[in-house]
Amino acid sequence: MTAQSQFRLVTRYGVWFALIGVGVLLLAGFFVSTFQDRLFEAQRLREVTVQAQILAASVTAPVAFGDVATAREYVDALRINPEVETIGVYDSHDRLFAGFSEDPARPVPPTLARARSLHPDERLTVFMPIRQASLALGTVYVRAAGESVERRLARYASIMLLAIMAALFLAVMATAQRALRSVNVELEDRALVLADTNRRLQTEMKEREKAEEALRQSQKMEAVGQLSGGLAHDFNNLLTIIKGSLHLLHKRLAQGNTDVQRYLDSANEGIDRAAALTRRLLAFSRRQPLSPTAVSISDLAAGMSEMVRHSVGEHVHIDWRLNARWKTVCDANQMESVILNLAINGRDAMPDGGTLTIETRDLPIADAAPYGADVTAGDHIELRIADTGTGMSDAVRERALDPFFTTKPLGRGTGLGLSMAFGFIRQSNGTLRIDTAPGRGTTIVILMARDPADKDRETA
Amino acid sequence: MRLRAARRAIATAALLLCALPGRAEDRSLEYAVKATFLYKFAPFVEWPPSAFDQSNAPFVLCIVGNDPFADSVEKTIATQRVGDHPIVLRRLAVADPRAGCHLLFAAGSPAQTVAQELDTVRGAPTLTVTDSGDATPGIIQFVVIDGRVNFDIDTVAAAANHLTISSKLLALAHGVAQGVRR
Repeated sequence: MTAQSQFRLVTRYGVWFALIGVGVLLLAGFFVSTFQDRLFEAQRLREVTVQAQILAASVTAPVAFGDVATAREYVDALRINPEVETIGVYDSHDRLFAGFSEDPARPVPPTLARARSLHPDERLTVFMPIRQASLALGTVYVRAAGESVERRLARYASIMLLAIMAALFLAVMATAQRALRSVNVELEDRALVLADTNRRLQTEMKEREKAEEALRQSQKMEAVGQLSGGLAHDFNNLLTIIKGSLHLLHKRLAQGNTDVQRYLDSANEGIDRAAALTRRLLAFSRRQPLSPTAVSISDLAAGMSEMVRHSVGEHVHIDWRLNARWKTVCDANQMESVILNLAINGRDAMPDGGTLTIETRDLPIADAAPYGADVTAGDHIELRIADTGTGMSDAVRERALDPFFTTKPLGRGTGLGLSMAFGFIRQSNGTLRIDTAPGRGTTIVILMARDPADKDRETA
Repeated sequence: MRLRAARRAIATAALLLCALPGRAEDRSLEYAVKATFLYKFAPFVEWPPSAFDQSNAPFVLCIVGNDPFADSVEKTIATQRVGDHPIVLRRLAVADPRAGCHLLFAAGSPAQTVAQELDTVRGAPTLTVTDSGDATPGIIQFVVIDGRVNFDIDTVAAAANHLTISSKLLALAHGVAQGVRR
C-alpha cells in the first residue's frame, strides 16, 4: 500500500473515523458518569446508613415504650440533613411509629412491608433494625434523597461539554481532511496536466531540434556548394592563367626564345592570388595568427588610397573623410584587407557608379546602451564605409555576415569578404554594424576601442 | 403544612395504642400496654453477672400478688428473649427471695402488701416494678399521665439492687428520682 493510497483511505473514511470517535467519547462519558453516579450513591448510602444506625440506637426506648413524641424529636433531628428524603420508624409490629417525608409525592409508607415493597432498589434505601440487648423493637427505614436535577446536570455538563468539544474538534478535522483531499485531487489533476504538457513540450523541442539540425545541415550543404563552386571557379581561373603561361613558356622555350619573363611573372601572379585566396579562407576560419599593433586607421586608410582607387574603378567617386586621430590595437594587414573588401563590396553594389564614402572619426561613448550589448562605454574609433548603391533587403542583411553567403553571381564572390571582416573585427574586440535598406545604399559601421596606451600618451 | 398534618395524624394513630381513656373497659388495654412494658424494661437494664447461673439461663419475670394483667403478659413474652435468656413467667402469691426473680412486679395482695413484697428482694439483683398509684414505688413505677402509660425510675434503689439502668430509659422516664422509696 502506497503512502498516497493510505492518505486517500484516511481522507475517505475521515468522517467515519470522526463519528466513531465521537461515539466512543460519548460512550466513555456515559460510563464515567455512571461510575460517578454509583460512587456518589454508594457514599450517600454509607452516610444514610450511619444516620439510620444512630437513629435506630436513639429511638429504642421511645419505640419500646410507645413514646411517639420523643421518637419524633429524634426523627426530626435528621430532617435538617438534605441527604435524607424519607424516614420511617416502625415498631415491632412493623407499623409506622414516627417518620417524615420531604417529598409530598412519596409519603412515608404506613407499614414496613409497604416500605420494603416500594423500594426493591436498595441503592438509596436503608433498613436498620431497632434492637436493645438483642431484643427486636422495630425497624428504621431511611431513604436517601435522590440527587437533584441541577446537581446531576452540573455533573454531566462538564462531560457533555468535553464530548461536544471533542466532537466539534473531530468534525473540524474531518472537514479539513475533506477539503485537503479535494484540493489534493485537484493538485494531482493539475500535476497530471502539467506532466502531459511537459511531455508534449519535450516532444516539440526534440522535433524542433531535429528540424533545426536538418536546416543547419541543408545550410551547410548550401554553403559547401557555394564555397566549392566559388573556389573551383577561382582556382580554375588561376589554374588557366598558370597553365596558359606555362604553355606559352614551354612554346617559347621550344622555339628557342628565352624572352620568357612575362610568362613566369604571369604564372607567379596566378600562384600568389591562389595563395591569397587560401589566406582569406584561413582568416575566415580564424586560424590565421594575428599580430596586433597600435594602428591609426586614418593613416592606414590614407596609405591604401591608391590601391582602393584602383580597385573600385573610375566610375565610382571616393570621398575620404579621415578625421580620426586616435589609435586602436589590431592587425594592420587584416584591417587593410577589411577596408579593401568593404570598398570592393561597395563598388559591387554600385554597378552604375556612385559615391563611396570612407570616413573615420574619434568617438567618445559615455552611454553605450544605444550601441548594443557588445559596446562598452569609453573612447572608440569609428570607421564608416558607405555606398550609394542598391542596399540590402532584410532577408539579405540577416545573412550578410554568414560565411559563404553572397549575392554575387557564381564565380564573382566567395561569400567570405564580409564574414571574414566580421570575424576579424570581433576577434579584435570591435563591433560591426550594417545600416541598409533597399535602394538607399549600405553603410558598414565599425567601432574599435581606443588603444589605452594611446590615451595615456595623450594625457601624459 | 399538609405533611405536618399527615405526620400529626400518624402520631395520633400511634398514640391510640397507648392513649387510655378512663373508661372501665379500657383498663384491660392499659394493662396490656403495661404488660408489654414489663419485658421491654429488661433490655435497658443491666443485671450483675451473678444474677444468672449460665449465659443462657432463663430470665425470670415474677408477678407477685393479685395479677392485674390477666393473660396479657403471657401473650407478649411468648417468643421474646432478653439477650440469650428466654423469659420465664412466674406467678407468686407472696414474694419469695428464693424464686430468683430478675424482674418482680409487686401487685400486693391481702396476704402481703406491696411494701412487704419489695422488702423481700431488697439488695437482691431484682428489678422491682410497681403499678401506678401504689404508695410504695419500686425501682420502676408505672404512671399514667394524660391517659398515657409512663414510668418513674429510682436510680438509688436500682443501685441498691446492683442494677444499672440505661440512660435511654432514664431519658424516657416521666420522672427520675433518687431514694424516693419509703
